[in-house]
Amino acid sequence: MKPTLLMAALAAAPALVPLPAAAQDLVTRNRVGLADAPNTLTFRLTAYDLYSSDPATSEAFEDLFSDFIEARPDWKIETQLQTGNIGQEQARLLQQTQAGRGPDCAMIDSSRLALFKDTGVLQPMDMVFSEDDVADLFPYVREAVTNEAGEVLAWWWFTDLRVLYRDTSVVPEAPQTWAEAQEAGLAAVEAGREGLLFNGGRWEGTAFDWLANFWAQGGELVDADGAPVFAEGENREKMLAAIAYYQNLVESGASPRRVTAIDDYDAFTAAAAAGTASMFVGGNWQYGQLRATLPEEQFANWAVSELPGPAPDQRATGTGGWTIAALSEDEEKRRLCGEIVKEIYAGPGNAAQGLLPTSAAIYDQYDAYDGAEYDLFAEALENGVARPGAAIYPEISNQIQIMLGNVLSGTAEPEEALDAAAAAVQAAYDRQ
Amino acid sequence: MRPAPDRGPGAAHPAPWLLPAVLVLAAFYAVPVLDVARLAVSDATLVRPASGFSTQALRAILTDPALPQVLGTTLLFVAVNVVALQLLGLLIALTIARGERRGLHGMAAFRTLVLAAWVVPGIANGLIWSMLFDEAPYGTLNSLLAYVGAGPVAWLSDPRMALVSAVIANLWQGTAFSMIVFYAARRGIDPTLYEVAALDGAGPWRVFTAITLPLLRRAIAVNTVLVSVQTLNTFDSILALTGGGPGRATEVLSLFTFNTVFYNLDLAGGAVLALLLFVIGMGMTLAVLAAGGRGEA
Amino acid sequence: MSRARLGDLASYLLLGVLAVFFAVPFAWLVSLAIRTPAEVYRGAARFIPEAPTLDNFRTILSDPAFLIYLWNGLKLSTAGAALAVALAIPAAYACSRIDFRGKAAVLLGLLAVQMISPLVLLVPLYRWMSALGLLNRDLSVIAVYGALGMPLAVWLLKIAFDAIPKELEEAASMDGASRPRTLALITLPLARSGIASAFILAMVMNWSQFLIPFILLERDADWPISVAIFNFAGSISASTTQLLAAACLIAVLPAVAVFVALQRMIVTALIAGAVKG
Repeated sequence: MKPTLLMAALAAAPALVPLPAAAQDLVTRNRVGLADAPNTLTFRLTAYDLYSSDPATSEAFEDLFSDFIEARPDWKIETQLQTGNIGQEQARLLQQTQAGRGPDCAMIDSSRLALFKDTGVLQPMDMVFSEDDVADLFPYVREAVTNEAGEVLAWWWFTDLRVLYRDTSVVPEAPQTWAEAQEAGLAAVEAGREGLLFNGGRWEGTAFDWLANFWAQGGELVDADGAPVFAEGENREKMLAAIAYYQNLVESGASPRRVTAIDDYDAFTAAAAAGTASMFVGGNWQYGQLRATLPEEQFANWAVSELPGPAPDQRATGTGGWTIAALSEDEEKRRLCGEIVKEIYAGPGNAAQGLLPTSAAIYDQYDAYDGAEYDLFAEALENGVARPGAAIYPEISNQIQIMLGNVLSGTAEPEEALDAAAAAVQAAYDRQ
Repeated sequence: MRPAPDRGPGAAHPAPWLLPAVLVLAAFYAVPVLDVARLAVSDATLVRPASGFSTQALRAILTDPALPQVLGTTLLFVAVNVVALQLLGLLIALTIARGERRGLHGMAAFRTLVLAAWVVPGIANGLIWSMLFDEAPYGTLNSLLAYVGAGPVAWLSDPRMALVSAVIANLWQGTAFSMIVFYAARRGIDPTLYEVAALDGAGPWRVFTAITLPLLRRAIAVNTVLVSVQTLNTFDSILALTGGGPGRATEVLSLFTFNTVFYNLDLAGGAVLALLLFVIGMGMTLAVLAAGGRGEA
Repeated sequence: MSRARLGDLASYLLLGVLAVFFAVPFAWLVSLAIRTPAEVYRGAARFIPEAPTLDNFRTILSDPAFLIYLWNGLKLSTAGAALAVALAIPAAYACSRIDFRGKAAVLLGLLAVQMISPLVLLVPLYRWMSALGLLNRDLSVIAVYGALGMPLAVWLLKIAFDAIPKELEEAASMDGASRPRTLALITLPLARSGIASAFILAMVMNWSQFLIPFILLERDADWPISVAIFNFAGSISASTTQLLAAACLIAVLPAVAVFVALQRMIVTALIAGAVKG
């Protein structure tokens, strides 16, 4: 039969493809350590560090991993890559873990941590992290990674936050309030630039960036039991106020209408590089990107400040990042997983990539955080708010994206859009 | 049925011929498909197995106030795409076929270009079209329009325009399929028919309406079905382009299903939507076959 | 004569306009692929980079894993398409040449297979393959590709078989040839063009499949390029978009190569077909 022959030929052919030449190398595409080491830990990681396609990043992590495994010759780490498709990857990880096929140790996006905690698949790593270590974490991080018994179920190894970027040649003073932001946007438009840019497209970034305006007023998305309450009582007023802020920006012309199509932070960097942007709500990681992209004299004009609030003393910013958690019940493996975090990621791994550590001590420990921007980031982190640790959050986010898109494109009025969002979230919550 | 000689065409038993196909489907596909039906009447989520029979998901999905809008968007998206994809595919296929008969150069290169667009990984779609449709002052298409004194167009930020843009991006990627189907079908037409027509002095339009179109009718009917079903299940290009926004302006049923399963982890709801997609696909198929394939099996 | 020339001109004009439509997006992908990381963030603001570089292609091609991903993609998609066409040939032949009750139902039933959204089917599929012990084996993906691609192949092959005059087969069967023999010796060679088309379509659809291999193959060494390409999408602090664009461009080539090779087959089939007329 022809097909069988063809398949046999295809199956035999991989031998012809050169495999990674890695006889003595401690770090290969799917393993760290020696192939004949007696103990094995499986570790699922993103392609952002050890296997990053950015050579500088991957080399730094190869060194860190090599040192780590040389100190533990009995172990090898079998690495499994997860793709950048966060939603599908994290769903798959959960499926596999529940089917008993999951890795021993894995990276989990901070936005999904609550879900993993709820399903009870995370195993404590207390043997590695002391009480002092935990106490030194930022409060929102500490709350997210520990359970009621105080056990460490994951380690949030880097965080991020949103700030207001501005070109000081058009916006000399940092806007402190929503009203000032709108004025500054109008002034920038007057000066021939685009106004205040922000994420307004259909994606997680839109909801998360905007939620800072809700949180700045003390708004709550869910109650203590994880039930959605964002459209009830005072929260409702705060939601409407935050919607009105964005709506006014667009309708006054202080923000261009194209914001409802922005679903990528890189769009801001591009606008800054093209010289059309005056202000944008961006992530802290974009500071380094701006420095690398803009000519020096142009970059010198750019400054960061805290996101404007309804009043100067009402501020908040959304904080994200990645965590690492143990999924194996084996004590040795849990320990090793924790040590990977402690010796590789939280600290040296932060510094190598310029990512924001989650405990204050690390900022002083590394030169990488000497820049003035890090003082501002650290200050803003005081007002950091993480996504609520509730399994309903993804649907809340989805509905907020729809609500903002509809309001900003003029398809719906704020009140009706909020009611529709609340009803949809409630329906989803009832069936969870 | 007319009686036929023992071994002549039309008289054998079909079972042995269909057996391989049926066996493979039964072995790998039957159980999962039945499972989908079972999940639709359960309360399963991606993180929690079904605990028993429940029509809650069924009711919740079918009474979802967003569903009518999503269905409307879906039907519009599918209808426009099915017409546009096939018109473009037919135009290209016939032009290339003509060009080859005339010995024109570049026909194979053009066909390859169209096909290459089809095999570009979906993730590239997002990269490419977000630059083309970029509404910043330096956006590609708007800059081009500005040269000729037109625009700017709110490609993705205007809810109605966003659907048009999604169709354009889908045309770029999807035309190859119809092109290949029609090209193969056009090649299958007996050339003597055209020779006879030429002897009769028939003009190109007359040849097209009297020979090409009637003989391609079968291929068009089948292709309409295939393209409809594919478009109905398309979500990755929209996901990359607009994510379904602004608001819900470009959220088609398959993207809605994707969000239900992977965002909301609602497996039972996803299964209901999968069945809904199936019913719509089946309905369209029956309608197309009834209209286009009348009198033929 | 001049009228034909006018037609040629119109053909070129039409294809020229369409060529721009199909080529422009590629031009932008190329523009991204030859940028340095610093220039990637300029986005649509600059089409021709100030400092174009081929380094991105070099980086991708010197990564041995990339070649393995390409190979996996080619292996899975061609084997899946071959299976689909092999299963479809007898079924399409039966539907074209044999009168039987319920033929319409069979054809429709096959189409129904395609209509079940893989999005939802995946979870049961994962469990079923796990129960069969096929998880992480190429066979699982190939079998699903075969099942998914077969309905399309049956329909296309039926059209191709229908176009071949029955008289040719009847002559053979009078000479005492069995039906399978007639199919192999007379029908299949004449239907080569249709078979090649069905194979191309099935292969290309497999080539771009993401979800099925993503769920059924857990080890990244087994991944086809359609899944692995997402690895190039990532870095938190540095840009890798230029590498992703280069990887996408390279990933297009094998599928195009197969297409160009099969294109010859279609053209030869045409010549063979012309003889019969």
